[in-house]
Amino acid sequence: MPFLFDRIRSLFRGTPRLTPAELQAAFRDHYKEFRALLTANNNALELMAEMEEALSVGHPFGMSFVRGHCTALSVNIYKMTHHLTRMADGKYAGLEQPFLHISREIEQIIAGRPVNVEGAAVLSMADVDAGMVDQVGEKMANLGEVRNRVGLRVPDGFVITAAASRNLIKVNELQAEINRRLKGLALDNLEELYSVSAGVQSLITNASLPEELEEEILAHYQQLATEEDPDPLVALRSSALGEDSSNVSFAGQYRTQLNVDRESVGQVYKEIVAGKYKSQAIVYRKQRGFRSQDVHMCVGCLRMVDAVVSGVLYSRAPDDPRSTFVIIQAAPGLASNVVDGSAATEQFLVSRAVPHSILDQKSAAEKDSGDALQTLTAAQAAELADVGVRLEEHFGSAQDIEWSFDQAGLCYILQSRPLGRAASDTPSFDEPSAPLAQDQSQEEAELPTPIHTGGVCASRGVACGPVFTVRSSLDLLRFPKGAVLLVETPYPDWASLLDRASAVISETGQMAAHLATVAREFGVPAIFGMKQALTTLENHSLITVDATACKVYEGRIEPLLALAFSKPNLMAGSPVYKILVEALQHITPLNLTDPASPFFNPQSCQTLHDITRFCHEKAMVEMFTFGERYGFDDKAAKQLVVDAPSQWWVIDLDNGFRPDFDPEARYVDLSHIVSVPMLAIWQGMTAFPWAGPPPVSLRGFGSIIFQSTRNTNIDPAVRSSLTAKNYFLISKNFCNLSVRLGYHFAMVEAYLSDLLTESYVSFTFKGGAADDQRKAARIQLLADVLAHFAFRVERKGDALTARVEKRSVEFLMERLKVLGYLTVHARQIDMVMGNQHSIRQYQEKFLTEITTLLEKPEGVTP
Amino acid sequence: MQITSRVLIVDDEAEFSETLAKIFKRREIDVDTANGCLMAIEKLKASEFDVIIMDVSMPGIDGIQCLGMVKQQWPETEVIILTGHASVTSGIQGMQGGAFDYCLKPIDFGELLEKIELACEKVQINRGR
Repeated sequence: MPFLFDRIRSLFRGTPRLTPAELQAAFRDHYKEFRALLTANNNALELMAEMEEALSVGHPFGMSFVRGHCTALSVNIYKMTHHLTRMADGKYAGLEQPFLHISREIEQIIAGRPVNVEGAAVLSMADVDAGMVDQVGEKMANLGEVRNRVGLRVPDGFVITAAASRNLIKVNELQAEINRRLKGLALDNLEELYSVSAGVQSLITNASLPEELEEEILAHYQQLATEEDPDPLVALRSSALGEDSSNVSFAGQYRTQLNVDRESVGQVYKEIVAGKYKSQAIVYRKQRGFRSQDVHMCVGCLRMVDAVVSGVLYSRAPDDPRSTFVIIQAAPGLASNVVDGSAATEQFLVSRAVPHSILDQKSAAEKDSGDALQTLTAAQAAELADVGVRLEEHFGSAQDIEWSFDQAGLCYILQSRPLGRAASDTPSFDEPSAPLAQDQSQEEAELPTPIHTGGVCASRGVACGPVFTVRSSLDLLRFPKGAVLLVETPYPDWASLLDRASAVISETGQMAAHLATVAREFGVPAIFGMKQALTTLENHSLITVDATACKVYEGRIEPLLALAFSKPNLMAGSPVYKILVEALQHITPLNLTDPASPFFNPQSCQTLHDITRFCHEKAMVEMFTFGERYGFDDKAAKQLVVDAPSQWWVIDLDNGFRPDFDPEARYVDLSHIVSVPMLAIWQGMTAFPWAGPPPVSLRGFGSIIFQSTRNTNIDPAVRSSLTAKNYFLISKNFCNLSVRLGYHFAMVEAYLSDLLTESYVSFTFKGGAADDQRKAARIQLLADVLAHFAFRVERKGDALTARVEKRSVEFLMERLKVLGYLTVHARQIDMVMGNQHSIRQYQEKFLTEITTLLEKPEGVTP
Repeated sequence: MQITSRVLIVDDEAEFSETLAKIFKRREIDVDTANGCLMAIEKLKASEFDVIIMDVSMPGIDGIQCLGMVKQQWPETEVIILTGHASVTSGIQGMQGGAFDYCLKPIDFGELLEKIELACEKVQINRGR
């Protein structure tokens, strides 16, 4: 279509003027571009708010969220620049350069820096240390450090590196197929998750091992052979890059295979590599913000220890970095029995100070005989305490260590990793089964009698949900969100349910089990070792689990649930989270705030938000100067003659003014306006006088001062866009009000028609001068009030959108009055939103005044 | 609003195109499919389409290249780019190449239908229908 603006421009160069009909058509085109720009602007702001919200809420999100949102944002901002350029006859073509520059920066951040997976395919443990984490994964790098730098005993062996697993996938051309299968996988569809997980694992286990790699593995294996043991059994342990870092346990999420012989080592290696795609590992990575592409599976191959006794050692209590004792969980046989939660264990609290005396010892009964367990001698306990202290000193943080004593009484270290920080809080080892805190114990008297008690607190907290017993993988598929997971043994495999479970109860296990580690990390209350729970607790019955006190109550116990801890933000600090934070540096900061500044130009746009701000401002200018530019006076902005401090301008799109209005006039009186929606909004705006800025507490004021240092627009001493004009765009049945009052931006738009499908009222509100918390509190207040008046409300961070559609004209006019009222009266109240009392007071005031306003159809006389 | 316009889905994943086409047909949208750019060009030569839903990653001529070819010969036909691999660069390239809009897989059908409706409206105004 020939672009009408070009025609207009040519016509004004000394050629005859367009007919009024042509000019009106041109104006409609102009307005259409403007509307499209506003739509893209709203979409962009909404996307930004969603990204900011993702950081604060802590719900899992993956790279597809980051990539999708950044792409959608770029597309919408491209549209804004495009529409603005068309509106302004190409005047702002200079926007393209900063836009492309910022977009490239964002794309580079999203693409990320590839992990270096070059180097040897197999390395002997004698050559491994902590500096080789990118080649051998954190678990094996730490173990190499324990052996080669600390000088403690570690089983002999070797590591098959990240380069080897990458090569395995590459040679078999599997990556594209794996990506295809994982693409769009919905984690809440467990059946699909398990099916995709099994399929991908099978692709890898059925792949052929590159010949060179197989030879190298066998050559290293051969070096472990001795005369006495020519065909040694080995343990193959996963050691993924990124696993075992301080805030992320990955406890038990990957695979370990014990007692592997020479013939099986190649096949088991592939199975361990395939374990990267175990269903719970896929879920865990997503929940903790790891990108699959960044996780490379390395595999440690260590000679089996003929273990007499094994276990787990914490160099400090997880919830107390100053504790003066180490905690040891010990069980006969292999350490795997302790960490998979299947073995009865003996617990020791041993002093960290030499001579490492045993402070406390609790034995569980042996499964078969019922006799009390006897696992460690005092000397062995002391030796372990010494190991804990030494490893903590070496690594510089509290450690979670797996160990074994062999037949000869030699202590082997099988793993040492940073002791996971507890999510919300953790079991108190001083008082392992401590009930609720003291101030709560008084209330305990009022609690009903528990239906079941006992066990140990594996992860503190209180939660409520229906019981759901899981015995098999089939039960996993049916596990309902919010249920209490009831199991016999706390296998690590159940970890994939932790984002769905409200609490966990297991008949066996203790706090050193992998599942306990992950439950603490996710902030899911858990009681382990709760005997007879499967018998006592009825499937599907509603229970309240007080894991802190190891008690279970029938039904929903509100006094206890009121004490529940909020769940931790599991995404914080994860790789995906960091990528989003970095990308947002190029997206959300607003530097272009003052339209009057000489720096308010395309070259000064440093972020995508700057570009939206620039486009929006200039689009308003273009829209409202259209009449002036083309001498089309009856469409130029007219100043509204009112007794109000702010300036209000009105543009008539189509029959919004009375027919007898003089198109040459520069001012318009309210009596000349016949736009039904504008008059309704105005009635709401003027029904009650604005009470002026609220009295601000020192804190609220401090918040504004702080914000002012970041945004000069908020400094009242500086002339800024915040004191600029506000515009009504009107026709008989349409009104678009763009307003900056105080420090917030609001837009009200309405089209009123007897055809219900065409009618709508929409409202957008964003910004404020106070800190994020206060702005969010104001948004919540507005959301509550709007919901009260039947608006459909969506809120994202400090932005809010509200809509009412397909209702009668009378109903919509009332809603416009509500919006007019709120647009004026929500002004600056974010400053006092730090105070619950103020929030309640404003809510009551708003509801009372609006109700009064709506009860009197002709409005309220101030 | 009833969409009376013609839509062409261009995607090498036949299963996806057919599913989408079925959904469109249920909503009485006149729809056809093409498994790649060359087939799409043939269909465009044979009859008039208002909107094309075009996948970005296709073997041979990819969606962005195909968009250029379509817009050169049929500038009034609107193209909505579709992709399962969101990328800022491809999004911008698509818009610079004259795409009407950009949609991500998995598809939000409501959103896609809304975009088709807007694209059809634009085409019909431009063609003076």
